[in-house]
Amino acid sequence: MSLFAWLRPSQPALDAAQQQRLAQLPGPAPLQDHTLRAQRWVVLDLETTGLNLNRDQVLSIGAVVIEDGAIDFSQQFERTLHRHDHKPGPSVLIHGLGPSAIAAGCVPADALLDLMAFIGDSPLLAFHAGFDQRMLSRALKDSLGYRLQHPFIDVAELAPLLNPDVVLRDAGLDDWTAHFGLQAGERHHASADAQVTAELALILFSQARRQHIDSPLLLEHRLQGWRRRRQHSHGF
Amino acid sequence: MDAFDQAGKTAVLQNIHGTMQFLQRFPPFNQMENAHLAYLVEQCQLRFYASGESIIKPADGPVEHFYIVKQGRVVGERNHAATGTETTFEITGGECFPLAALLGERATRTEHLAAEDTFCLQLNKAAFIRLFALSEVFRDFALRGVSSLLDQVNQQVQRRAVETLGNQYSLNTRLGELAMRHPVTCVPDTPVREAVRLMHEQQVGSIVIVDEQRAPVGIFTLRDLRQVVADASADFAAPIAAHMTAAPFYLSPQASAFDAAIAMTERHIAHVCLVQDQRLCGVVSERDLFSLQRVDLVHLARTIRHAARVENLVSLRGEIGQLVERMLAHGASSTQITHIITLLNDHTVCRVIELAIQDKGDPGVPFSWLCFGSEGRREQTLHTDQDNGILFEARDAAQAAEIRARLLPLAQHINQGLAQCGFTLCKGNIMAGNPELCLSRAEWARRFAAFIREATPENLLASSIYFDLRVVWGDEQACEQLRQGILDQVADNRLFQRMMAANALRQRPPVGRFREFVLTRSGNDKAATLDLKVQGLTPFVDGARLLALANGVHANNTLERLRQLVGKEVIDPLDGGAYEEAYHFIQQTRMQQHQLQTRQNLPYSNRVDPDSLNDLDRRILRESLRQAQRLQSSLALRYQL
Repeated sequence: MSLFAWLRPSQPALDAAQQQRLAQLPGPAPLQDHTLRAQRWVVLDLETTGLNLNRDQVLSIGAVVIEDGAIDFSQQFERTLHRHDHKPGPSVLIHGLGPSAIAAGCVPADALLDLMAFIGDSPLLAFHAGFDQRMLSRALKDSLGYRLQHPFIDVAELAPLLNPDVVLRDAGLDDWTAHFGLQAGERHHASADAQVTAELALILFSQARRQHIDSPLLLEHRLQGWRRRRQHSHGF
Repeated sequence: MDAFDQAGKTAVLQNIHGTMQFLQRFPPFNQMENAHLAYLVEQCQLRFYASGESIIKPADGPVEHFYIVKQGRVVGERNHAATGTETTFEITGGECFPLAALLGERATRTEHLAAEDTFCLQLNKAAFIRLFALSEVFRDFALRGVSSLLDQVNQQVQRRAVETLGNQYSLNTRLGELAMRHPVTCVPDTPVREAVRLMHEQQVGSIVIVDEQRAPVGIFTLRDLRQVVADASADFAAPIAAHMTAAPFYLSPQASAFDAAIAMTERHIAHVCLVQDQRLCGVVSERDLFSLQRVDLVHLARTIRHAARVENLVSLRGEIGQLVERMLAHGASSTQITHIITLLNDHTVCRVIELAIQDKGDPGVPFSWLCFGSEGRREQTLHTDQDNGILFEARDAAQAAEIRARLLPLAQHINQGLAQCGFTLCKGNIMAGNPELCLSRAEWARRFAAFIREATPENLLASSIYFDLRVVWGDEQACEQLRQGILDQVADNRLFQRMMAANALRQRPPVGRFREFVLTRSGNDKAATLDLKVQGLTPFVDGARLLALANGVHANNTLERLRQLVGKEVIDPLDGGAYEEAYHFIQQTRMQQHQLQTRQNLPYSNRVDPDSLNDLDRRILRESLRQAQRLQSSLALRYQL
């Protein structure tokens, strides 16, 4: 046993079936250099009890799939997580998930196993992806002992990268939705937010193709360059 | 597991539900079962097309997908060798394409392009076929496309009109379905007394006299009985053949209630025999047709023709308005209604002329009363003004002047009488009382030849009014000779045709490439509007007139002209059908506006705010105006304008 074993939190208790499903989850594939259209993407949105990355919990998960360059309605993911000790905080006003909906939700470990099976080896897209990435990583570690290594691409970075002429400071999902004239459904619902993020991504991919950035790998490189340039211009 | 069996069993996911709600705002999705709609959405992909991007094109081969526009706008563009590309249609939120190509398992004939950034729901062919099999509503829509939309509009029109009137009955009903009872019949040598007893026993107003093969040879009605009774010397033992009306008018049981109504109105008869294979199979009476109506057509026509004074005619005009409202309620189309209005107006004009002759004395010269413009085309609505003239025969100029002097006072008297009856006096003084419009045949011919020879703007305008001439009262022979002269000269004069074509392109249908409708604000109106008559109907009327005159078509009526032009292969049958439906719809919308205005005590206006129409009507109006645009671009192509 490792010397530092005691530092780790105790392994979550999973039953045999859950253990087996966990073992069968595919690992992430690295970003490829084939066309954007050839890539399957999973667009993710989480509703959480709050914005604290260390303390708050994932309440619901919505995910839609972009495959063959289109949002595929036959692949939808939507789960509310059961939190037995959940007390509605101020965020209930935003996501609208009351205690009864949370209590009726499914066991977090099962929901997260379902999610990872749904994601498969696909890269992830989210708006303000850093937040979703870290919240999901922590939930996976706590509930499954699983280490999330899938690449994330942040739609909130992609939009200004591809639209350098649009001046929107610290633009949120609503700002870009309005900018592109998208008709959003019921916002602040994980599925609806994932859907509108995916629609935004379709527009951005179309722009990327016209700017000759037609592969997931190239997209990631350009994002890295954009981040570096931005840090310089911000005086770091 | 089959995706359809799964649909609806688990709770419908949020995004599926959202898209279903979106689709439920549009036909046919609003009438589909939830499970079918859920299946449709779950099988869809949502695709984005940047402005200008091609969605499907002829070179792609047989169509593999069904598309529904979720957001944005798709235009169809067809390439022409001569004129470049032509935008043939525009599809916006909730509308679908390309049904015909998908069902025909062929490539699309039109390239579909995103006119702006657009999202489309895309359904693969396998799912489309499955849905086609599952949902009757969807199948019906897919098979009948836009014409099923038009059906829905007609149903809507009827429903709405029925709500204000409270009864259900269609003028398109087949007569065979209306004539429920067996006709009462007898043979020609039946005594009158015996025939009347039969009528009395069966409680009917007519008896049909038939031969051994059951072919109708005569009809005897209560009206005939009145005459028999009034005649003191009549012998009730005489055979019925002596008192019947021989060779009665008949129709096939397949004919519509409307056909019977028209026949009764034209002929002043109250009974129509139904005959199939030369055998009597039924009788339809005025009562059968109009049992639910308070005003009946035949009675109205008869009362007009026998009115003793112009004042009586004036009071009858109000009843025509009520009749139109009832006809709309009974599912009459705009064509049927304009036809009826024209018929009743013709009766009124004839009666006014007859009364004027009674008042002023017979001028002692035969003359024909002409009408022009919409009256000439038989396209009058309730809102109508006078465009008329007089045609007579004269040896020479001197005799013409002499006859004119004799006819003018009578003509002016008639114009005033018509004005009293609600035919507004013509502002442009196109009236028979004007000496320039009371002409001999030679004078008219000279005048018309000048219009064609010197195509000045005034002459072009005049030809668009006068060349739709028709005789309402008097001999029709001379008028037909005039028409033949016009047709011969126009066919020979390519320059005149070209000028008329340019004239026909002046009124552009109010649909834009980038906006739904191009509206204008008139006066101090609150809402921007478009003019259904000038911007919607006139392009069809002008186009049909030009093509008819250039191709020897004698008909005056716009729809009749279009039909004959299709017959002469001047217009493609599909185009002709589309123009007809479009014209029809615009006219129908215009009439509904007029009825609404009457009910609200507003002055007549042809202007409509598209936002006041419901979603379906607005879409079809836009499509109809687009057909007007297509007719115009075909004229531009034909005459190289």
